[in-house]
Amino acid sequence: MSKEMVDLPPKGGFSFDLCRRNDMLAKKGAKPPSFRKTGTTIVGLIFQDGVILGADTRATEGPIVCDKNCEKIHYMAPNIYCCGAGTAADTEAVTDMVSSQLQLHRYHTGRESRVVTALTLLKRHLFNYQGHVQAALVLGGVDFTGPHLHTIYPHGSTDTLPFATMGSGSLAAMSVFESKFREGLTRDEGIQLVAEAICSGIFNDLGSGSNVDICVITKGHKEYLRNHLLPNPRTYVSEKGYPFPKKTEVLLTKITPLKQKVEIIEAGDAMEE
Amino acid sequence: MGDSQYSFSLTTFSPSGKLVQIEHALTAVGSGQTSLGIKAKDGVVIATEKKLPSILVDETSVQKIQCLTPNIGVVYSGMGPDFRVLVRKSRKQAEQYHKLYKEPIPVTQLVRETAAVMQEFTQSGGVRPFGVSLLVAGFDDNGPQLYQVDPSGSYFSWKASAMGKNVSNAKTFLEKRYTDDMELEDAVHTAILTLKEGFEGQISGKNIEIGIIGTDKKFRVLTPAEIDDYLAEVE
Repeated sequence: MSKEMVDLPPKGGFSFDLCRRNDMLAKKGAKPPSFRKTGTTIVGLIFQDGVILGADTRATEGPIVCDKNCEKIHYMAPNIYCCGAGTAADTEAVTDMVSSQLQLHRYHTGRESRVVTALTLLKRHLFNYQGHVQAALVLGGVDFTGPHLHTIYPHGSTDTLPFATMGSGSLAAMSVFESKFREGLTRDEGIQLVAEAICSGIFNDLGSGSNVDICVITKGHKEYLRNHLLPNPRTYVSEKGYPFPKKTEVLLTKITPLKQKVEIIEAGDAMEE
Repeated sequence: MGDSQYSFSLTTFSPSGKLVQIEHALTAVGSGQTSLGIKAKDGVVIATEKKLPSILVDETSVQKIQCLTPNIGVVYSGMGPDFRVLVRKSRKQAEQYHKLYKEPIPVTQLVRETAAVMQEFTQSGGVRPFGVSLLVAGFDDNGPQLYQVDPSGSYFSWKASAMGKNVSNAKTFLEKRYTDDMELEDAVHTAILTLKEGFEGQISGKNIEIGIIGTDKKFRVLTPAEIDDYLAEVE
């Protein structure tokens, strides 16, 4: 057995072995396949009892909508949820991995996870991969120290904010927040504001669309309102079906069997040989 | 003894076909504090003595019964530090399984993987076997289950079992008292009575630990107050 077969890639980090080949192919005109992104509008805000996270539900592959109702609000811990924008696979893998790590940490400490723990695990991982893991996240939760809301950028920098938006629709959503946000919102006011912000992303940004998902986290309690608003219902499917009236009238029904024409050839020589 | 020449090296069989180090490990388990488990028809209970070396030790900081997943718990007899290491490894394996298959790990799988870890340490160089026997209690789609894992890495499913100092008395007591249609409450009372049999001193909620799992599939350790209630019922 040659040594090359047993040679495993080094643990951790990406292997950049194929980059030269990819460059060569790109120069020759072969386009790389497009990957699924979550164009996205994701938002979060802190209200008087906790945190509300919101997201749209459209996933795109280039110009095509590949998932009309995907879930962008990911579970991290019973008291912490995370919205993800960017490459769908990256956001899901990263949130899954950190969720597992938080579970083990909870067993070891015997305590509820803190939002800053999730924040630090995520930003360390993203920084280690130097921005190649394209996940932009809005992390929110309520722990022993109170409600927290953070944004995490693909390169690993983070912000702590009272209200935050990320994704291609973030400017549309931020305009709503900047004009209408104030401290000490009630639960219903907060949900309405988040829904408005996501809707402004859905209607004004091509990368966001379909429905609104909302997650409300308070001390000791969480509500995941999947498809809280459906502002884009399908209206073109008719239950009655489509009756097509016959245009040609039937004048006469008469069946005439065709005559059989059979020719009998006088047998000459029988087939021989 | 002819065996003693082979008793220092773990990875050498003795002429009688035994691995003497594992026998010694079982002796270490046998001198540990008594622990037992009982499988009822609607749940499992595991219990152990919690005798602390001195009255100055803060008993709230010691927890011998640990949770491996929300529906699987474990108790041990033998060396506490070895138990901690096994619990850490088992939790990680359970979490890895969950991450890959997105379902809670079945009890038999977790027991098998923990036993595999314990067996590894009986066949490697420079390590010693774990000085603990585990009683794993869980409730999954196959119903309530109780497994005992030994330092050699062998595991068995039990209806009721005991380990540690008073094992023969405890097992005799359990054999007499066990019935197949026991309910969880009866099982808790039987567990307390079994512990009481060999208990030196006054039994109370502070010097025993009990963990139960019922049809709700959530493993939990009883608080000292709850244990005191059960003790009052038993008397």
